[in-house]
Amino acid sequence: MRLFNVIFAGLFFLTLSNLVFADSDIDHAPRVQSLLNEIDDLWRGKSSYAVTSMQVKTEHYTRTMRMEGWSKGKEKTLFRILEPLREKGTATLKSGHHIYTYLPKTDRTIKLTSGMMMGAWMGSHLTNDDLVKEARLEEDYDASISFEGERDGQNIIEFTLIPKLEAAVVWGKLILIIQAESHIPVVEYYFDEDMLLARTILFTDIKTLGGRERPSVLRVVPADKPDEYTQFVYEQLQFDIDVRDSLFSLSSLKKR
Amino acid sequence: MFKLASRNVYRNSRRSAVTVAAMAFACAMMIVFSALMEGVISGSERNVVAMNTGDIQIHQPGYRDDVDLYKMIESSTQLSEHIRQAGFFSAERLFSFGLMASDNSSSGVQLRGLDLKYESTVTEIHQHIMQGTWLEKADQNGVVIGKKLARLLDVSVGDELVFVGQTADGYMANDSFHIKGILKSVAAGIDNSGVLMNIRTLRELMSLPDQAAHQIVIMRADRNQDLSQATKAVKDLVGIELEVMNWRQLMPVISRFLETAHIQTLIMLLFTYIAVASIVLNAMLMSVFERIHEFGIMKAIGVRPWQIVRLVYAETLIQTLLASIAGLVIGIGLAWYFQRYGIDMSSIAEGMSFAGIALDPIWYAELSINSLFTPVAFLFLMAIIAVIYPAAKVALLRPIEAIYHQ
Repeated sequence: MRLFNVIFAGLFFLTLSNLVFADSDIDHAPRVQSLLNEIDDLWRGKSSYAVTSMQVKTEHYTRTMRMEGWSKGKEKTLFRILEPLREKGTATLKSGHHIYTYLPKTDRTIKLTSGMMMGAWMGSHLTNDDLVKEARLEEDYDASISFEGERDGQNIIEFTLIPKLEAAVVWGKLILIIQAESHIPVVEYYFDEDMLLARTILFTDIKTLGGRERPSVLRVVPADKPDEYTQFVYEQLQFDIDVRDSLFSLSSLKKR
Repeated sequence: MFKLASRNVYRNSRRSAVTVAAMAFACAMMIVFSALMEGVISGSERNVVAMNTGDIQIHQPGYRDDVDLYKMIESSTQLSEHIRQAGFFSAERLFSFGLMASDNSSSGVQLRGLDLKYESTVTEIHQHIMQGTWLEKADQNGVVIGKKLARLLDVSVGDELVFVGQTADGYMANDSFHIKGILKSVAAGIDNSGVLMNIRTLRELMSLPDQAAHQIVIMRADRNQDLSQATKAVKDLVGIELEVMNWRQLMPVISRFLETAHIQTLIMLLFTYIAVASIVLNAMLMSVFERIHEFGIMKAIGVRPWQIVRLVYAETLIQTLLASIAGLVIGIGLAWYFQRYGIDMSSIAEGMSFAGIALDPIWYAELSINSLFTPVAFLFLMAIIAVIYPAAKVALLRPIEAIYHQ
């Protein structure tokens, strides 16, 4: 889903502001729009650079890796693994709906085939499909405010995002909760087609990153395995940096 | 009695010859047919058991339903050794999945790590190479792949393949391999996605622990040992924590098919012999009616009906005996030929498979006591039944009417 951009592109809620609102929400529409716009601004940028570490905990292993990534627009993302040494130099290029991976050990670039889309991305709880589906989201959901006020001692606003009928998405609905005052995201729930919780993304550790207060930790928890998680921790985040289009090419995949 | 019967047979030698020839022909054909069926059955059994499954397999319970990289048999190397000491052949296997890419194409594959030292004691897959050679211990990154996978990836012997997957500890599994050999048709799974390699290479690639595996394959050292008994013996060795199953339990559909194949042979036998029975019946009726006058005289001079029945039967059995000797000679000759050279069905049966097992396009006959004895026994049985009517007919003749019968 949008995670790919969350992690590397800093384009987090950009897509939300472009949503077309359901009829019943006409009155709220301007407010929903402006709120989501504000959240968008949290991550918005024409281009970005990020250094992130990813921690994956599963029943069978716990691992950490660090990577750096660049993005330009919504379509182009490149990231490269810095640590561990075993995987250093492994690079992934997302261009439109295609994903290419460069494997330094065998010096090969592989284009991910449709058969691999549901496979785990880098041993995490995200699938490759999660990464490519992102760009389509903006056309796929209707948004509304479903709750506003105090919950668990915190002033929050809750958005419900329902996929449009014709939308080819795997989720039944999304629920996004933000802090009422700062408009910083708190948690996002993903529900499957049977409206059962499929996964939760928690936003924590608010820090100044790229000149603004943002959550610096994103934790993805699969609903069926509550003891497992994949967590992204931002170390660095810069927006509107100068990147050339040629960075997002197959030949630059191999460069160190 | 015998003398009289044989003289009667000889008397109308042409008709007797035709009857004997018909019976002999049917008998010979049925011997060839049974031998071929026997050959196909044991060939399929060999493909199932000797190519891949082995007699008995051990897994972690639940592994077969949910193929999970982490469901391993701990210290399988010791367990395998233990089973070998108990007088079985045994080898470990390791499985894993991922993406294999050639220069032009890529495909999801199943990696099969084989214990090269012992795999050849439990299966014959190493002799089933279409192109290239079998795996060698020294060549760590050599692989042997399935026939259809090779076509899909558009590769041949010597080409390079790159594997991408995920190791057991969550890292990226990536290495390049070169193709040492391409297998002939074995079973759907291996043909379409099988990549065979050294178990050690696979352990390293997937960061899996030493001395552990997903499967232990066992073969009886004595092929005559009862399969269920052997399964029980292995169960006792292994304990209840692991799942022990023989190939009949692992592949009930194929097992049942092979069992019913014998019945199919019997049905075929029955139909052919019903046709032959009508010839015998016809011939005996003719020969009996021709001699009604003669039988009448026999009865008149005091021959008992029972003796006449015996006479007719003796005549029939002499012919059947001659026919079965001829049938055996011809049948054995033909079956032996097909056992040696086989019938090449590849034009119509190329790549034919049933329930996931590949059938050999060249059909070999297999002579066994069963495939010889059954057609002959059936021939006698059929002759005996066919002659009931003519024998009863003459036995119950009234002498006076018979004598004047023209």
